[in-house]
Amino acid sequence: MKKRVTLTFPKQTVHMPITYRLAKEFNVAANIIRAQVAPNQIGKLVLELSGDIDQLDEALDWLRSQGIGVSLASREILIDDDICVHCGLCTGVCPTEALTLDPKTYRLNFLRSRCIVCEQCIPTCPVQAISTNL
Amino acid sequence: MRTIEEINDKIRRRQAVVWTVEELKARVIDMGVSQAAKVVDVVTTGTFEPMEASGAIINLGHTDPPIKIRQCRLDGVAAYTGFGAVDLYLGASQIADYNRGGESVDSDEPRERGGGHVIADLVAGKSVQLQALGQVTDCYPRASFETLINKDTINQFYLFNPRNLYQNFIVGVNGGDRPLHTYLGPLHPRLGNAVYSNAGGLSPLMNDPDLQVLGIGSRIFLGGGVGYIAWEGTQHFPLQKRLPNRTPIGPAATVALIGDAKQMSSRWVRGCYFKGYGSSLMLGAGAPLPVLNEEVVVHCAVQDKDLAAPVVDFSIPRRVRPTFGLVSYAQLKSGRIKIDGQSVRTAPLSSLFLSRQAAMELKQWIEQGKFELTAAIAPLPQDRTFIPQDLWGSQVNIS
Repeated sequence: MKKRVTLTFPKQTVHMPITYRLAKEFNVAANIIRAQVAPNQIGKLVLELSGDIDQLDEALDWLRSQGIGVSLASREILIDDDICVHCGLCTGVCPTEALTLDPKTYRLNFLRSRCIVCEQCIPTCPVQAISTNL
Repeated sequence: MRTIEEINDKIRRRQAVVWTVEELKARVIDMGVSQAAKVVDVVTTGTFEPMEASGAIINLGHTDPPIKIRQCRLDGVAAYTGFGAVDLYLGASQIADYNRGGESVDSDEPRERGGGHVIADLVAGKSVQLQALGQVTDCYPRASFETLINKDTINQFYLFNPRNLYQNFIVGVNGGDRPLHTYLGPLHPRLGNAVYSNAGGLSPLMNDPDLQVLGIGSRIFLGGGVGYIAWEGTQHFPLQKRLPNRTPIGPAATVALIGDAKQMSSRWVRGCYFKGYGSSLMLGAGAPLPVLNEEVVVHCAVQDKDLAAPVVDFSIPRRVRPTFGLVSYAQLKSGRIKIDGQSVRTAPLSSLFLSRQAAMELKQWIEQGKFELTAAIAPLPQDRTFIPQDLWGSQVNIS
């Protein structure tokens, strides 16, 4: 199964090779969605973890035991369908093609699993139909 | 083949055959032009796109004691007041010039709001704050006035848009190395994206390229209500270069539209804002094309693959910008075009979904007998040139 998590690293844990340990010890594949890591600063990492459900839980418990903050409520892009006019301007700036226009109906499609929450669509939307939930 | 009067007679009897322009394009492939022209009476086109050259005329009604308004703000957006005492003209692209309420007045960032939003709020039935200053005269002694207005508390409220329904437009890209904020939305550097703004084969004037059917006085669908083509639009440029199918290869004809905003609905009239550029008004419009002869069907049958627009580099902010040549609307709507061998993602700015819905709504109105066609009372000019404006004395004439 897949789980999207936001990890917060205290300064002293930033040097730890987290994705390697997740793969090696828990057989969990970690796809990095967003990362903000610098020496001697609190780091943030948004990961999409995929693996066996028990091993995922074990991995999350281990992360917590290392003093890493684990949040399952990650930031998501929200599209207000009452406001959206389906102009499609956002589809041109979406780097992962999570936002596309349906080739038949020309309605806006949002594929949440592809979204890396880069937020470039938010200021692009001319009718302010796009926001984040956090 | 048939006259507008004959078509209206069928509309009144609810026997008119009405197709959207997409239906016509598909059926012409199956049955051919002659057969289609025999069957169909009216073809409906539509578009829904930002049209910043739009504005609302408002007459407030007189106050007691009366005021001759010389400065006015509607929800913080300046309206033009140089007409009669309580006549206002609110432009869609006028941006709010101060922050309302508790926000900092000194903020560098203007509110992301403008005339288009105020017009849309009034159409939606919302109340809007009005602040006015008057010139004190013997006729109009009042110096200032503040109130809330909505569309039911003012006399006239109609859109008068000096330039709408652009016959074709451009495709914007950014060949430079910094992001650009444009009237086509954000353009990412190094050809990061391309934006086109015309609905192509759906768009009204693309299906009547030589303006043989539409003209001054043509009744249209405007913002969910009834409107008319009032005049040629500003920057009307019918002499633009054209393809053999008579459609232009860049911005060409335009029309000025007029329509009662009190009849309009918020589904079709929306304020919008382009970050770093300003406000505009997204407007749904649709034009019916009466099938008076086979030629009308020939022009309406044109496909997106046979319509083209120039790819223009916005990184050079001059009147004449370099272009990367022409691309077809079929390529643009596929989501990718090739520029200099590089694959670039395209995004529309007109809502193709709502453009199609506008054509469908107009079709229903005609089928239900609610909308009759009008003949143009005068043609739109075919010979306007596009005059640039230069500093006095900078022209060199070597003749």
